[in-house]
Amino acid sequence: MTTAVDIRGVTKIYSPDSNQAVKALDNVSLTINDNEFFTLLGPSGCGKTTLLRLIAGFEQVSGGEIMLFDEEIENLEPNRRPVNTVFQHYALFPHMTVANNVAFGLERLKKPKPEIKATVERVLTLVKMKELGDRRPNQLSGGQQQRVALARALAPSPKVLLLDEPLSALDLKLRQAMREELKQLQRETGITFVFVTHDQEEALAMSDRIAVMSNGEIQQIGKPTDIYEHPVNRFVADFIGDTNFLDGEIVDLNDDLLTCRIGAQSLFETENSGHHKVGDQVTLFLRPEKIMLSVLDQENDSGNRPGKVKNLVYLGNQAAYTVDMGDGIELTAQARPREDGELPFAIGDPIAVSFSARALKVLAQ
Amino acid sequence: MSDQIQKPSTRKGKKMLPVGHYRGLSSWTIAFFIFLYLPIIVLIVYSFNANRMVMNWGGFGIDWYLKAFNNSDIQKAVWNSLIVATVATVFATAIATIGALVLARGGNFRGKTVSLGLITLPLMVPEIVTAVAVLIFFSAIGMNLGLGNVIIAHITFCIPFAFMPIRARLEGMDTTLEQAGRDLYASQWETFRFVTMPLLMPGIVAGAMLAFVISMDDFIITLMVGGAGSTTLPVYIYSMIRRGLTPEINAVSTMLLLASIAIVTAYWILSRKTQTSTEH
Repeated sequence: MTTAVDIRGVTKIYSPDSNQAVKALDNVSLTINDNEFFTLLGPSGCGKTTLLRLIAGFEQVSGGEIMLFDEEIENLEPNRRPVNTVFQHYALFPHMTVANNVAFGLERLKKPKPEIKATVERVLTLVKMKELGDRRPNQLSGGQQQRVALARALAPSPKVLLLDEPLSALDLKLRQAMREELKQLQRETGITFVFVTHDQEEALAMSDRIAVMSNGEIQQIGKPTDIYEHPVNRFVADFIGDTNFLDGEIVDLNDDLLTCRIGAQSLFETENSGHHKVGDQVTLFLRPEKIMLSVLDQENDSGNRPGKVKNLVYLGNQAAYTVDMGDGIELTAQARPREDGELPFAIGDPIAVSFSARALKVLAQ
Repeated sequence: MSDQIQKPSTRKGKKMLPVGHYRGLSSWTIAFFIFLYLPIIVLIVYSFNANRMVMNWGGFGIDWYLKAFNNSDIQKAVWNSLIVATVATVFATAIATIGALVLARGGNFRGKTVSLGLITLPLMVPEIVTAVAVLIFFSAIGMNLGLGNVIIAHITFCIPFAFMPIRARLEGMDTTLEQAGRDLYASQWETFRFVTMPLLMPGIVAGAMLAFVISMDDFIITLMVGGAGSTTLPVYIYSMIRRGLTPEINAVSTMLLLASIAIVTAYWILSRKTQTSTEH
């Protein structure tokens, strides 16, 4: 597998000489493969956009190096780097037509006129904007501007396409539609996409691999399922999806199972990964969708735990329940509405909670 | 009853009271505008006076316009004014553009705030002070280029006027547009040529027009600096008044006013266009 972008120990400090020096990136290393949809995911201020700007050449690294297809690019001006950017607010040239916007990069590369014309037509067709080539950007809707921005960045056939939260300005429906289109576009063009977002759903939906970032550091790199099912730390588990965290202590273990005490006397069992010993303080996590809720049946209790519905949030296709388990423990779980549309449980209902030992996982500290 | 209920709700909604609510405001406003514009209207009306006396109406006529057009001194003065204003505008706008680019795009450098202050300071310095200072400076270094002296003086005081709209335009311009240019393989110069410059153009034109009007209208500095043979229109009008009032002065003033209005109107239309083109 060819490496498209190789980031080696990159550090970025803004205004290093002043007393307001800000460390945006701290010794970040990662490799992005060719023909990969790679996402940099994190909350605002985590350094993901800075990393993108370093690859584009709008900022200079303070330490480390960035290789693009095995070439050192630090000394290359932005216009000498074979990468193009889709900006967050599109940054379309307002004084040019859509077609001229798309042709801009090709003209600077001194491509022959007929080739420019053909390419502009091809990429505008690709993003379904062929008919609107004569319009000005301010005559277009947000979604259309988005497509033009994509076409403009794709037209010069960059080796890597950098996307800086390109969907954040669109409304929900359009955003979801564009997710699929972006993914498809990436597959069709075979160009490496580096996508920056703070939206975990977007990242999970589109990416081949995700790098979760926080405070200028990489927290975890992996496939969407790895990141979701096997978060390496509390930050990742918390940032991706909804999670129940249970802090406790290991009180017993055998070859298969760890037994943890949460709260004063509640015992929870989880798979033994072999990394822990009795007395360890651990954090367990449990995704809400892995919890089964059922009507409490005192007579026929088979490993279910009793609880009480404390709160519920109706979301249409499901409801999120907060269940009071006693002993200071609260769990968030989900349940689907019944076929007649009524919710299965109401606030105050006694309820049975169950989940498998495999669903409960120990977080690395 | 219903009246009482409505009152607090209007106050809550911060609904503005119609100005008619303040008694006497409209008559004050009308009086103010009369005070401001009546003299100018009278000046224009009497420029069509057929009578020799400025203040006695003797019927309608355009004789004074014809006379003014045929007055070679006025022609010379208009010509001087146009030369001075045009040359001063070109140089002042060019300098102002470069200054604005450095201040808005040059990053942080030592003395940035001071530079900004120094560029706009002439707007606040009393004109007579500038006039005397320039006069003393020219005589101290013994420079005597006739109209050239006037042009140099005009360039200096036109710069801040040209600078302001250009800088405002630059500050309001999204810097990511320039980054997008660089990203799409444009060199620094190409980015300036194809992205910054076309987007800045309305600001540059607005600045140039402002500089032109200011230069055309200037009296004090021109009077001080301009020697014989470099009389501009405002200075010539002043000298005409000293020789006695005739409707010819009204006619010339009216034409000057028309030229100014034309340029200011063009500036206004242009800046409105600018606003709509930046919204996207």
